[in-house]
Amino acid sequence: MTESRDVMEVDVLYVGGGIASLSSALHLTNLIKAHDEKAGDKKIGELVIVVLEKGFAPGAHGISGAVMDPAPLKELVPDFVGKGAPLEGEVKKESVYLLTKSGKIKSPITPPPLNNHGNYVVSMSKLNQWMAELAEANGVNLFPEFAGVEVLYDDNKVIGVRAGDKGVDADGNKKSNYEPGADLHARVTVFGEGSRGNLTKDLIEHFKLDEGRNPVAFEVGVKEVWELPEQRLQPGEVIHSMGYPLKSDTFGGGFIYGMKDKMVSIGQMTSLDYSDPCLDPHREFQKFKLHPMVSELLKGGKLIQYGAKTAPVGGYFSIPKLSFPGGMIIGDGANLFNSQKIKGIDLAIRSGMLAAQTIFEGLLEDDLSDVKLAGYAKAMSRSKEMKSLYKVRNFHQAMTRGLYPGLLTAVGQYLLGGRVLSNRLSSKPDHEHMETLVERYGTSTPSADDVGDIKFDKQLTFDKETDVYYSGATHEEAQPSHLKILNLDICYGECAEKYGNPCVRFCPASVYEMTVDEATGKKTLKVNFSNCVHCKTCDVKDPFENIQWVPPEGGGGPKYTMM
Amino acid sequence: MNIAVCVKQVIDTEAEKKLDPSSWRLDRNVNCILNPYDEYAVEEALRIKEAHGGQVVAVCMGPEKATDAVRKALAMGADTGVLVSDEALAGSDAQGTAYVLAEALKGLEWDLILFGVRSTDGETGCVPAAVAERLGIPLLSTLAKVEVEGSTLKVHRETEQGYVAYECPTPAVLSVIKGINEPRYPSMMGIMGAKKKPLEVKDAGALSLDKSRIGLDGAKTRVLSARIPEPRKAGVKVEDDGSGAQKIAEFLASEKLV
Ligand SMILES: Cc1cc2nc3c(=O)[nH]c(=O)nc-3n(C[C@H](O)[C@H](O)[C@H](O)COP(=O)(O)OP(=O)(O)OC[C@H]3O[C@@H](n4cnc5c(N)ncnc54)[C@H](O)[C@@H]3O)c2cc1C
Ligand code: SF4
Repeated sequence: MTESRDVMEVDVLYVGGGIASLSSALHLTNLIKAHDEKAGDKKIGELVIVVLEKGFAPGAHGISGAVMDPAPLKELVPDFVGKGAPLEGEVKKESVYLLTKSGKIKSPITPPPLNNHGNYVVSMSKLNQWMAELAEANGVNLFPEFAGVEVLYDDNKVIGVRAGDKGVDADGNKKSNYEPGADLHARVTVFGEGSRGNLTKDLIEHFKLDEGRNPVAFEVGVKEVWELPEQRLQPGEVIHSMGYPLKSDTFGGGFIYGMKDKMVSIGQMTSLDYSDPCLDPHREFQKFKLHPMVSELLKGGKLIQYGAKTAPVGGYFSIPKLSFPGGMIIGDGANLFNSQKIKGIDLAIRSGMLAAQTIFEGLLEDDLSDVKLAGYAKAMSRSKEMKSLYKVRNFHQAMTRGLYPGLLTAVGQYLLGGRVLSNRLSSKPDHEHMETLVERYGTSTPSADDVGDIKFDKQLTFDKETDVYYSGATHEEAQPSHLKILNLDICYGECAEKYGNPCVRFCPASVYEMTVDEATGKKTLKVNFSNCVHCKTCDVKDPFENIQWVPPEGGGGPKYTMM
Repeated sequence: MNIAVCVKQVIDTEAEKKLDPSSWRLDRNVNCILNPYDEYAVEEALRIKEAHGGQVVAVCMGPEKATDAVRKALAMGADTGVLVSDEALAGSDAQGTAYVLAEALKGLEWDLILFGVRSTDGETGCVPAAVAERLGIPLLSTLAKVEVEGSTLKVHRETEQGYVAYECPTPAVLSVIKGINEPRYPSMMGIMGAKKKPLEVKDAGALSLDKSRIGLDGAKTRVLSARIPEPRKAGVKVEDDGSGAQKIAEFLASEKLV
């Protein structure tokens, strides 16, 4: 109820409490502790290290596949098994299939990039929770339910962020419990907002961090966790698939990972450079479950949790400049993702650790200048993870040419270490790839069959509303929508005519709903923002870039516990 | 005016509720939150404190992780916290809980004890009454308004018809309903500050609790069976082709509702 905005002075501020930030905060406190134990009078001493996380709790917005390469984690927490890291199982068995509508062809070998022996199946929500506990035990201040909503600049330098206000009603009026978000002023601000970070976007624009880089590109993963009647997949068993149900001009693939306690993680990635305006990634995932290979596996099981999230797949050439005056970007927010191996956790941890190392050295030398912070990017480029990303630098761009030619190029690239295509392939941003209805279907009113719609049986396949229920997504209803439609006229006019309002389909949480008044024929776009699972697909894919995702009141969004 | 506000940690509204079939106890190994109704009690306590001075102590019985619920009350503005936590308390029913809270409250200073109207998990709503009984002081439940004038409380008690106005001297136990106020959000400063506020954890021994009155064995209620409610059946959809009203009337008549 205070009217004035608090200003909080902190030493190191992390925006986003994902694995990148949490690992970084843990590493930084470890380095300081180790140093201070043996340093005589040159101690760094106690610092205020803060992590802002918009989710209800650490891990609540953590969603991944996930098969994790444990190399960086081993360095961060050498005894991670003993310390109770939530590992579902070590990968000992894995297979790759090319699916047709009802058949499957098993790849005789696992293509090298997908070879996961020695890796672990993990749940991102659980891993984040665990890492948060370690960081908190080290004195890091975690603030779940607080979103960073604005970058604070001073004289072209980032000095911190503003946390979101709370207690504002749908019309933007202050309620009696209005609580203005604090201004956090930090010596260094580290952005670990994950894929398509909201403030990161602002930073990139402000400092032109993407100058000379390829456009960013994304895939969206739609995923469910199921509990089966018996342990049908060993914890740690991995299955990848390509082909059905995605059409050959759409890149993506399915994954099924065995978890503990008879659970499986099952999902599908769809590349957001798809061109079919009627494509619906949630529906395609439901179809994936109808494939006999999957439906047999899930028979008699039950849905436990649902979620969706984008992953940045633009590759090496889409990585922005990693530091700027006052801070740096780590993890998915910096597009540090290896789309060929479907791996980002190792890169997130590595980038977090190297950012921490750079900050630690800066603290020791009392030098946190841009030049000093730029050391992080240099250290990153020397890392094993970054080198392996460089090797596959043209993978995504090759894939955008369609599955088969794409695969050939990609295999060539893998075998020759990227040298076939050493000049970067350019690509255009995802939202520009969409064809109009007429271009795609020859008519502006394609039938449900042409489009590929299916009926959901609520046993094996679920509609979006049901799935959203299983994501635990809720938002305080009395707040302005956090999905900003910039120009509604486009929705009712050009977008409806050309594309048939694809937001209704690409959103995996049924946030966008076009209602038609039967009497007047008047259309209204209803934005059910409370359903939003924060996947950011709309922010990426809207053909007119007409939707802007901003963080809602802290604590809103999905409540994942095992994604 | 010193106020004790009793708070409980409950499992999150969105979390999957699972009962252990042998003890019928709720699996609390999921996301947990401060009972939403208790937020109104904490807010009311803070408002009274802000108007009249005094101290607010948050009192809780629960497992160790219930410290989070107490910390939230502290972050909102309560001054101190007490958590009664002991393995022996697991499985206590409403009577047992009231006994434990009353014993904890006896060691604290208060003129007023505030409760939320009920918890979102147990839903019994009788703990405030049982605590009042044990302490031998008046109870005013389901309040939509609380005013303090000196040592007199003026309250509105919500009923189905409207409200009844009561006056009552302190000390008393009050339970407040949703909507009595808009609970504040803990600020970041409040959360940082809460880490340094005193929070005392007491076990059964510290309160010299009578073992026969607590835990599953001490419970006076027995759960005989439990089942998941059937999912609600889809309703009947009446398309209005001009005879909609007729069809609805027929439906209501056939269900003997009119
Ligand atoms: C479907 C899918 C499958 C994947 N499979 C694998 C796999 O098998 N193996 C693998 O290694 N990787 C996989 N990845 C990638 C991996 O999950 C990511 O690389 C990793 O999660 C990145 O971690 P991060 O900390 O950078 O970002 P995130 O995990 O996205 O964390 C960012 C956090 O910041 C919070 N946040 C964002 N903005 C704000 C703000 N403004 N204020 C406050 N909080 C904010 C978010 O709520 C979130 O909790 C997969 C990704 C997806 C989507
Ligand atoms: S509204 Fe946007 S961010 Fe939210 S679930 Fe839908 S597509 Fe994802």
